Amino acid sequence: MRKTVILVLGLAGVALFYFTFVSAGKVFRSDWQLPQSPGEKQARYRLVLITQELETPFWGKVGAGALEEAERVGASIEVWGSYGKNREDFLKKIEIAIDSKVDGIIVQGLDTEEFKQLTKVKAAFYGIPIVTVANDVPMADSLRRTYVGSNQYLAGQLIARQLLSDMGSTGKVVLLGDSRGEYYQQQRINGIYDVLKEYPNVRTEYAETTDAREQVISATQDLMNRLPDVQAFVAVNANTAEAMIQEIGRRTRVEPYHIYSFDDSHDSMSLLKQGKLDGVIEQSPETMGRISVNLMTEWLSGETVPLDSNGYFTEIRMLKAADAR
Amino acid sequence: MNGIQKKIWTLAAVVLFIMAAIWIALTYYNQKTQDQYNDILQRYLRMNEVTTASQQTVTSLNNYLLLPSRDNLSQLEQSKEKLRKARIDVIELRNPGNEFALTNYMNLIDSLVETTERSLTFQSEKETEASGNAFSEADRISKYISEMSLTLLDAELKTYDRFYRGIIEQSAELKKLGIWLLLLITFLLLLFTYAFSLSITRPVLKLTQAAKELSRGRFDLRIEVESNDEISFLAKMFDRMRININNLISEIQQKAQLEHELQQSKLLLQESQLRSLQSQINPHFLFNTLNTLSKKAYLEGSEETSDLLASVAALLRYNLKRLDRSVTLYDEVRVLRQYIEIQKARFTERLRFHTDIDESCLYVQLPGLTLQPIVENAVIYAIEPEEDGGEIWFRIVDGADRVTVEIEDDGPGMAEERIRQILEERPVESEGGHTTGIGLGNVVRRLSLFYGCDDVIAIESGRERGTKVRLSIPKARESGKQDQASDRG
Repeated sequence: MRKTVILVLGLAGVALFYFTFVSAGKVFRSDWQLPQSPGEKQARYRLVLITQELETPFWGKVGAGALEEAERVGASIEVWGSYGKNREDFLKKIEIAIDSKVDGIIVQGLDTEEFKQLTKVKAAFYGIPIVTVANDVPMADSLRRTYVGSNQYLAGQLIARQLLSDMGSTGKVVLLGDSRGEYYQQQRINGIYDVLKEYPNVRTEYAETTDAREQVISATQDLMNRLPDVQAFVAVNANTAEAMIQEIGRRTRVEPYHIYSFDDSHDSMSLLKQGKLDGVIEQSPETMGRISVNLMTEWLSGETVPLDSNGYFTEIRMLKAADAR
Repeated sequence: MNGIQKKIWTLAAVVLFIMAAIWIALTYYNQKTQDQYNDILQRYLRMNEVTTASQQTVTSLNNYLLLPSRDNLSQLEQSKEKLRKARIDVIELRNPGNEFALTNYMNLIDSLVETTERSLTFQSEKETEASGNAFSEADRISKYISEMSLTLLDAELKTYDRFYRGIIEQSAELKKLGIWLLLLITFLLLLFTYAFSLSITRPVLKLTQAAKELSRGRFDLRIEVESNDEISFLAKMFDRMRININNLISEIQQKAQLEHELQQSKLLLQESQLRSLQSQINPHFLFNTLNTLSKKAYLEGSEETSDLLASVAALLRYNLKRLDRSVTLYDEVRVLRQYIEIQKARFTERLRFHTDIDESCLYVQLPGLTLQPIVENAVIYAIEPEEDGGEIWFRIVDGADRVTVEIEDDGPGMAEERIRQILEERPVESEGGHTTGIGLGNVVRRLSLFYGCDDVIAIESGRERGTKVRLSIPKARESGKQDQASDRG
């Protein structure tokens, strides 16, 4: 009896001690130490990649490539930007970057006066190098150090050739461009025209519209009314392709038309897979990001001075609907 | 300070220690949590300060541009100073999560200061338009700073979310710890108090029981108390008292015993004296007559009768003299022989007496008239009733520290019951009138009194097996006993 009581008391005592110590350990364990300041070690260069279209697959890839390369060369980089081509926000970000005195700005070119003002005057005033990526703005206007991205003129030619081989050398083609007339789109159109002007039987109709859905739809309606026997569409601005195809689809079947576009919109690839687009120019966004960061650091460290002002072109290829499936 | 007081102090000290430990731990924990909160809050306040300072700078600049007075200028300088200080404070907020943003933040502050100065420079050079541009730029930068502050705060909230949760979780754990601690302390204190109170009350209880036993008169139980305080001392003293009382009592008992023995031997002596007095009514007359008869017989030529009468006279004299003092074995044997001679004259051939005596040990002392009554007994029971008489053996054998005297007959023997009666000194019913006056019982009693022990005499007997009385007489008597014995004389 006495033994049992002692045993029970002993067990109770041990259990109480155990639980108390476990509890005390939990309370006094200080694993919630505040993050410490990283000391004096800082990245070599602070770079910023600014785009107008955050969170699109294309720019996501550019950002990923840039981050990867930055890590490799020991620079720190942040991806900033606006959503859905919000220009005001985009320009503000550039200004902040300049005022923040980053070491280099890699930016999606925007062919507007404000943009040029910022890059040519303010960035130059602070001595911050600008590299345009994917979309170029001529050096004379922007004082950019270089351009990294696809050769848009070549891309236009590529689309025109594909169009000819698909459609034949006679027919009517609609080119749907951006009314803002950005430099890179101009280049694409130039490329297309330069090929097609050899073929007098191919008649081209150029129309301009903004990104706004209603505008695209009304422009498409207008074009189809004017040219009922049109055979091919080229959405020079990739963002208009989806609305345009939808409008065509409302009137008739989409398949007989030859429709082409570029990959720098978030629905280009899905349209291609559905077979609604016949061909898409596929660019190399990751390479763009990588090379731009690489060139920037090279320029900053003085390894490559000056950079090639014509730009560093990345690979482009024609992606056909048949391949995508 | 010792014993019970010490124990009480210890208990108090333990309780005090536990309370102090808990208080210190809680205070420490509280302080730590508060510091963490403070640190985090401090960060927010510093960022907010930057925003305020930048806005103030822009406001001051605006005021100055509108009204370039000394007052406004000094105010502008003040706010710029404040901004610089805020910037320095912000440096300390760097952590891996916000390093990039924070560098931008500080550079923005620098830009603001530079732009402000540029605006001032233009103002002093009367280039109003450039100054205005610079001001609007400063204003924009100030807005950017505000926005960046918000972004940074947002990031901070994300970074410190984990810590807040940690702190909240730990608060919950603290509550649990409190409960466990309370249970543990209650448990330990109960155990400790139980053991402590027991250590005081148990010895007291033992002492009480011992006192009770003592009051009932049991002095032979040891009082044992295992403890190390005053009670143990008390118990020791109590035990010593018990031993003393015990000794005293046993001494008293011994004395009473002695008294009793003395009383008995006195009574016995009185009885024998009475008897001898009774028989002394005319012993001297009888003795003288016997001697005269002996001489007369001798003169008449009856020598045998003369000798017999002399023996009777000698026996009578011995009987008169030697009852209350010790004699040697030699005297006893001599008297015995005379007695046998008398009896031989009576029983002639019917009494066959054999002796085997070790002459070297006849010096031992023994009470007078010891052997003769025994042999007389043998004659009465073994010879007298038998037609053809019987035999009596008398032996004295030397032993290591005792001399053995054996008197053996071949008579009908004695019953167990009777032997016991004799040895246990119980009164025996009348044995008939033809003894010399002293019975066997009397001999046994005197022997045991004389030697102070009961094993001097032994009787072996059985139906038709004869009787053997054996006396083991110590060669040296204990001195104390001798004194007592001589006291009697």
